[in-house]
Amino acid sequence: MILRLAGLRHLSRHPLQLIFGVVGVALGVAAVFSIDLANESARRAFLISAQTVAGKATHQIVGGPSGLEESLYTTLRRHGGLRTIAPIVEGYALVPARPGLTLHILGIDPFAEAPFRNYTPGTSASDVIPRLLTRPGAVLLLEGTAERLGISPGDTLPLRVGLESRNVTLSGFLRPGDDVTRQALETTAVADISTAQELLGKVGRLSRIDLLAPAGAEEEVALSRIRKILPPEAEIVPSGARGSAMEQMTRAFSLNLSALSLLALVVGMFLVYNTMTFSVLQRRQIMGTLRALGVTRGELFAQVLSEAAVLGAAGTVLGLPLGFFLGKFLLGMVTRSIGDLYFALSVREVSLTAATFVKAVGLGTLGAVAASLWPAHEATSTPTRDVMRRSAIETGVRKILPAVSAAGAGLILLGAGVQLYPSRSVPLSFGGLFSIVAGYALLAPGATTLLVRGIQPFLAFAFGTQGKMAARSIPASISRTGVAAAALVVAVSTTVGIGIMIDSFRRTVSDWLDQSLRSDIYVSSVEDRRGPDRTPLPPDLVEGLSSAPWIQQVALVRRQTLESPSGFTELFVMRIPRESFDSFRFLEGNAHNAWVALHSGAVIVSDPYAYRHGVKRGDTVRLRTDRGEREFPVAGVYYDYSSDQGLVGILGETYERFWDDRGVDSIGIRLSPGTPVEAAIGRIRRIAGDRPVLIRSNRSLREASLRVFDRTFAVTNVLRSLTILIAFIGVLNALMAIQMERGREHAVLRAIGLTPRQTWGLVAGESAIIGTVAGILAVPLGAAQALLLIRFINRRSFGWTMQMFVDPWVLLQAVVLALAASLLAGLYPATRLARSSPARALQEE
Amino acid sequence: MRILPAGAAETSLVELRALTKSHPEGGGERVVFRNLSAGIRRGETVALLGRSGSGKSTLLNLIGGIDLPTAGEVILDGTNLTGLSEQRRTLFRRRHIGLVFQSFNLIPTLTVMENLLLPLELNGKTGERPRAAAQALLGRVGLADRAGAYPDRLSGGEQQRVAVARAVIHDPFLLLADEPTGSLDAETGMRVLELLVGLARNGGRTMIIVTHSDTVARAADRVLAIRDGRLVEETFPGVAPA
Repeated sequence: MILRLAGLRHLSRHPLQLIFGVVGVALGVAAVFSIDLANESARRAFLISAQTVAGKATHQIVGGPSGLEESLYTTLRRHGGLRTIAPIVEGYALVPARPGLTLHILGIDPFAEAPFRNYTPGTSASDVIPRLLTRPGAVLLLEGTAERLGISPGDTLPLRVGLESRNVTLSGFLRPGDDVTRQALETTAVADISTAQELLGKVGRLSRIDLLAPAGAEEEVALSRIRKILPPEAEIVPSGARGSAMEQMTRAFSLNLSALSLLALVVGMFLVYNTMTFSVLQRRQIMGTLRALGVTRGELFAQVLSEAAVLGAAGTVLGLPLGFFLGKFLLGMVTRSIGDLYFALSVREVSLTAATFVKAVGLGTLGAVAASLWPAHEATSTPTRDVMRRSAIETGVRKILPAVSAAGAGLILLGAGVQLYPSRSVPLSFGGLFSIVAGYALLAPGATTLLVRGIQPFLAFAFGTQGKMAARSIPASISRTGVAAAALVVAVSTTVGIGIMIDSFRRTVSDWLDQSLRSDIYVSSVEDRRGPDRTPLPPDLVEGLSSAPWIQQVALVRRQTLESPSGFTELFVMRIPRESFDSFRFLEGNAHNAWVALHSGAVIVSDPYAYRHGVKRGDTVRLRTDRGEREFPVAGVYYDYSSDQGLVGILGETYERFWDDRGVDSIGIRLSPGTPVEAAIGRIRRIAGDRPVLIRSNRSLREASLRVFDRTFAVTNVLRSLTILIAFIGVLNALMAIQMERGREHAVLRAIGLTPRQTWGLVAGESAIIGTVAGILAVPLGAAQALLLIRFINRRSFGWTMQMFVDPWVLLQAVVLALAASLLAGLYPATRLARSSPARALQEE
Repeated sequence: MRILPAGAAETSLVELRALTKSHPEGGGERVVFRNLSAGIRRGETVALLGRSGSGKSTLLNLIGGIDLPTAGEVILDGTNLTGLSEQRRTLFRRRHIGLVFQSFNLIPTLTVMENLLLPLELNGKTGERPRAAAQALLGRVGLADRAGAYPDRLSGGEQQRVAVARAVIHDPFLLLADEPTGSLDAETGMRVLELLVGLARNGGRTMIIVTHSDTVARAADRVLAIRDGRLVEETFPGVAPA
């Protein structure tokens, strides 16, 4: 107890050091906790929503892109042998009065709903059903949602469905029995099936039919009986399949963010390591006394670890609320990115799960303890007589430096081996990356020693004895300077790595946009909306534009999502001239041969699709068409950066043979020579009338695409800044501790005539050397990280092939950043030392 | 060489058998002392003299089990310290040995009272009785009113008195003092020495004091000196040879 007290009081007597350690853990925990919160909240919101809408259904009958014939439901009722079936029509509508809000319209048959969902428990069916059935446009909303929209029962709510304006009437409230369902229904409007069909333009069609199949052996009997009745385009899928497939889509995205947040925590742990190492170093005299008094190694080891646990716990306590607020902020960014990349998602509340909480607390406290294992070992493994000797530690560290460097090299080789191992596992790739970073961090002290020795003659030449002293002091206290340099190297290299990766990706996408966007103007029905409900452009608009004399040629495109038990497949339907097809760049095959093959009914697949599904040119892909499952030969693999799930490109003529859908949702327009773009946009607007179609010039579409790209990396940049902040505190902590430790040395120098300004210069010079060396060392690691992120991690996560561009300016920035951070961090200790009284420092020692 | 008082073989509490200590230095070995033997009786106070670097403190560290000899044995009350593991040596030290250092080495983050309670707590003694004993001992060293103070609020003499009290609080049979008056002025040093010797003799404890000071040497029952790596007995005016 008294021993523990002594340790804790030591920490409290060095408040700055303690604060830095706690802040390091807090920021690291906050980074992990916030990302987990944001990811988990988005995931849970989506899953709850999917589960709530699916209700108790065991299976769903799904159709092609245009859904199912309404009559199928009647046929199944009569001849399917299963009474527990319910038709569903669903889609999305925008609320013009509330920009950004998308309502999920869920059309149900109130008489078939009871076994599946009950959103109005306690309300008598005789009360709700007539209102839904008899009032035109009647919908039910949550009371809270209605309040936010400012409407009461009987009020009309204007909506926009696709290009059309519609009105619905609030005729009652949904009253879910629990909070989870309430959360899931926050942006859902429930309507009678016929109302939903009219509202969504799906008269006579159903989105799906829910089934509640009996359990056990009877299930297969019931399902096969239904299967016999189904038309070719329809298929039975387990009700969880859709949710799983959509969750799968976002997994790599979430994993990448989690890994980056872990990196922030790792840098935070460097801070704990620093704090505990310095704390041990400062107390070597006390520890020697304690050992002499009879405190065993084990007791001292436990003592250091318990101090680290307290520090970790304090950091965690601080980091959790910080992470909670950061998580709320990041949730918006994550949700928007998921919306940009995958599907529309509405999440209002962060949801905290026990696992998220336990993970953050565990990482904060156990991480701090783990980071202190070495300092604790150092404190207790030195012979008692040597613990009191200052030089013993440095001698010990210098002795093990070759072994540490060898271990580092080993970890780097291990990491490289892991990357080259033929696997598609993203966690394994990150494991390899972490191994390489950790290995390089272990190499950093040895490399720092060599580099500083290398530049020592230049420093001596430029700054005389002071320059020599500054340079010599770094290898002389490598146990501390090495750690500071390693922390800075890791943080700066991460910035460089992520910077090069984002820059490379952006330039690859930008080049691809330049190559692909060959039209002058693009007309589309919706803006950047993903998902199965793309609204087609009005046929008269398509026809009008196709025959306009000022238009040289048009490229008509439709993107359609096919659903199957194994997930979603996005079709890219092209009704385009040969010239437009030339803008495709092929990874396998070429435009000429592919064009010929496409006319014979083949398809082309995008690079991510080929990677995810292991498809090559010459293989076939199976697609569920309105005529049943069909195989299509693959004529080529092309570069595409518009979807990480991949696309299957098909010619319009082939599509029309196998699918009934005739819609077009995007038109690329090449203007006749001499037609000004602005004037043409005006003409298109007049043809479109008051229908809200999106008309964009080549340039504005390009800009909008890059804006979406930048938005996707906004979270990454937040994490990147957080990592640098933690590293900065780490360097400040390290430099302060080093300089304070050498108080007597500086006092002696002051006593023999060094001016305060010269003392300041000496300390600042040391900081500058550490910063410069760390910056130089960060460059190769940063480049290596970028290479791994681009070639392995992003490829395995998203399936994209990216070109690597290394801007020398980014590399120079790394050195400048490290130098600036180090100098800034050295400012305070330098000033403090320069102002301190040498007499007092000498006396204290 | 063997320095043993008459009949020491039977009554020695501290027995040093053919101790050799050397350190690696510049690729070779520097021998601090070689084949050194001695015996110290129960209750005896021995002063250990020698020039700087002669190995006095090293010898004290060997006797205290803080360090191990290159060759030879250290036997304390029949226990061969050199044959014990690091852990067992530490536990032996915490139970049976009290240490006083030149630079006091109080734990700066503990109060005077807590510094005194630490050896007791390490020996599993907690509660009111140890506290009362510590308070009584503080009274004996003249610091009853400073129990709550931190070491940095005390003068050098006061700090060393606390260190002396800490060395005897757990009733060890052996006291090892390394230049206990070396950091104090003559008058304060004298008072601390009287206190130390008094507490050792009244408690029937054996004490070995490393010193440069003739005054300290005179307070001992016997004086040994390390000269050229060998242990020799010295006669001091006022100190009766064994």
